[in-house]
Amino acid sequence: MIVIDARSAARQVLPPALGLAVLFGAWSWLAASGLVRPRMLPPPGKVWDTLARSLDLLLDQAGPTFWAAVTGIVAAALLGIGLGIAVSYSRRLMQAIYPTIVFFQLIPKVALAPVFLIWFGHTIVANIVFSVFIAFFPVLVATIAGLQATPPTYERLGQSLMMPPLRIFLRVKLIFALPQIFNGLRIGVTFAVIGVVLGEFITAQSGLGYIILFSANNFETALLLAAIVLLCGVGIVLFTFFLALEAIVLRVFDSR
Amino acid sequence: MTIDRLRAAVLPTGFAVAVLLFWQALVLIFHYPKVVLPAPSDIFEALVANFGTICRQAVPTSRDTLAGFLLAAVLGVGIASLLSFSRLLRDAVYPLVILLQLVPKIAWTPLFIVWAGIGQPARLTIATFIAFFPIFISMMAGLEATDRSLVRLSTSLTASSWRTFWLVRLPASMPYLFSGLKIAITLAVIGVIVAEFISSSEGLGFLILKSSALLQTDLILAAIVVLCLLGVAFYGIVVAGERAILKWQGE
Repeated sequence: MIVIDARSAARQVLPPALGLAVLFGAWSWLAASGLVRPRMLPPPGKVWDTLARSLDLLLDQAGPTFWAAVTGIVAAALLGIGLGIAVSYSRRLMQAIYPTIVFFQLIPKVALAPVFLIWFGHTIVANIVFSVFIAFFPVLVATIAGLQATPPTYERLGQSLMMPPLRIFLRVKLIFALPQIFNGLRIGVTFAVIGVVLGEFITAQSGLGYIILFSANNFETALLLAAIVLLCGVGIVLFTFFLALEAIVLRVFDSR
Repeated sequence: MTIDRLRAAVLPTGFAVAVLLFWQALVLIFHYPKVVLPAPSDIFEALVANFGTICRQAVPTSRDTLAGFLLAAVLGVGIASLLSFSRLLRDAVYPLVILLQLVPKIAWTPLFIVWAGIGQPARLTIATFIAFFPIFISMMAGLEATDRSLVRLSTSLTASSWRTFWLVRLPASMPYLFSGLKIAITLAVIGVIVAEFISSSEGLGFLILKSSALLQTDLILAAIVVLCLLGVAFYGIVVAGERAILKWQGE
């Protein structure tokens, strides 16, 4: 049994590790071969050196990015879930508003970033508000979809058991909506990071986005890649947090 | 039925009109400066006055978006199909792509500008890069979600793996592919706009950022209106393609 487990674990870990090794090998070879200038593609070792050497600076800049993204997704979650519940409350309201929401889903909201700069100035506030703005829609749409996902029989069962509407909502509909809501939150959290980074690109005051743009303008590709590595870290930390939250909440409120 | 359908059409339109009227009234009553919040009528005037400029700038944006999207579709479908033939290759590449998917891809934009310069190739690369992931991932999901018994049936009927792919797996993955394409087309627009924000002297993104520097909020919003229409039109094309293919498959 243990042997089989070890073998299946090896089958899960080995191929991606191999892929990663090939990727890094190709990268090192390409950087060393002189086919591309080191300014364009520094070898992995140099990126690592830069990361280690500039870690203080990078962590300093990762702070604002991280906290802006956290504020962004939390506010977007509260707003999105709240508004989703409010809209789902009435069928008419839903019919009136839903197409507008879908329209907003389709349009490139990123293009509105400069408007937020005019409204909030070149500050971190603009970054946060913009991040809320783009992270909010997936959460809203997922909440609305989730609240419609309750099988009608369950709702009718609740009604025939004389449950008050609020109780039906809390104990039946909301529970059935949870997987979808978390789905929306997972999309929302990546959007929140994108919103903050894009804001930092344009405001160019602080944050990892600013470092990335700054190093691109100075052809400091090693610093750029180091900043991207750290940004990945920020993204993965936030994403993992929401995955863990999802696992805990879904275990507590197991709908099946 | 007809009343229901009428209601489904009237309610959303009514809501949109109400929002616009509310917006217009807000500006009329509180006299917000045009820089902060232009009224819908101001935006319309700016749209009419600058229609030529906006259309001229919309051309490169549309061109790069569509080209990037098509390139991403070819690459995404191609690579996913290739990986579906080899388990080892799939296990080696797929987790890495998922990992890369977690990174905010917009953050890579400056890197592509370092690599490809500040011209059209960079914008095309960025749009392709951003649009690639949803297409690739949904195509992979589609190829894997194919009904096992169908695959086994065709194998036992001694179909070659190529024929199984072409006649069973590929058709079965179409709904998945199109859900990815629909996400990808909106992302391609975003990629081009961000690239134009960061480095460009043409395109709607450039026009928007330039107007923002000149505090012409009405022109920003007029450009965005056109951009939204373009985005919805592109999305509509993909949806039409989906309908056509699914209908054709049904026959």
